[in-house]
Amino acid sequence: MTTEAPAAPREFAWRMPGNWWTRTRHYFLYMLREFTAVPMALWLIWLLYEIKRAGNGPRGYYPPTSTAFVVFSVIVLAFALYHSYTFLKLAGVIIRVKLFDRPIPSQVIVVAMFGTWALASLVVGFVLIWFAR
Amino acid sequence: MSEARRRPALSHLFFWFLFSQGGVITALLLPVHVLIQGILGPLGIVPVVDRHYDTWINVLGNPLVKLYLLVLIMFAFFHFAHRLRYFLMDLGLHAAKTLPAQAVFYGGAVGVTLITIWILLTTAPLSFG
Repeated sequence: MTTEAPAAPREFAWRMPGNWWTRTRHYFLYMLREFTAVPMALWLIWLLYEIKRAGNGPRGYYPPTSTAFVVFSVIVLAFALYHSYTFLKLAGVIIRVKLFDRPIPSQVIVVAMFGTWALASLVVGFVLIWFAR
Repeated sequence: MSEARRRPALSHLFFWFLFSQGGVITALLLPVHVLIQGILGPLGIVPVVDRHYDTWINVLGNPLVKLYLLVLIMFAFFHFAHRLRYFLMDLGLHAAKTLPAQAVFYGGAVGVTLITIWILLTTAPLSFG
């Protein structure tokens, strides 16, 4: 019988080179998907600012008209659409629903999610435009 | 396995719920806002509610609109907080995994939520018209 205390487990730190995500297209697209949060957050902060400015009264409020803002929104829209496409497509993998004791095929769930996206866009778009009258 | 390890990770479940709900809400609702309020409205292609003070303040006074904007912004920022934390970890910033980092990111989302509530309650008076 030995009296030696067991050696403390050595810790091997997991390290990856900083540019690992540039190696393949899939890694790059994965990181691009993660990055979509940044432009979307910036745009929502703008929206919050736009709401806050409405509190300044009619003289202190002016809607954005600059080309820079439109270009910014176009870039954000590209990221937002990529987020929507990847996240809603993922629903087919994540969501498991049974109907009459049979699992609903993942394609049906994905189509339902994209259909909901189209419907929600129509409703929100209608409200944004209709109440401008 | 120790007792501590057997306990369900309730905080992880909570933040994962906020992340996934935020992901769905952002995916369903944000693109149309950006398209109409960020592009079509400023270009003058369609009339948009935020182009004029009167229509904008009137809509912002509606309690349903206030609730909608709170849900959209709050869940979106919890989603962003989770994504950004993991984005930085993927870039090799292991500090993003620590408890202080979690406090900063999720605390930031809580901060944005509180600011949103304050703005929505103080900007436009409640109106059902």
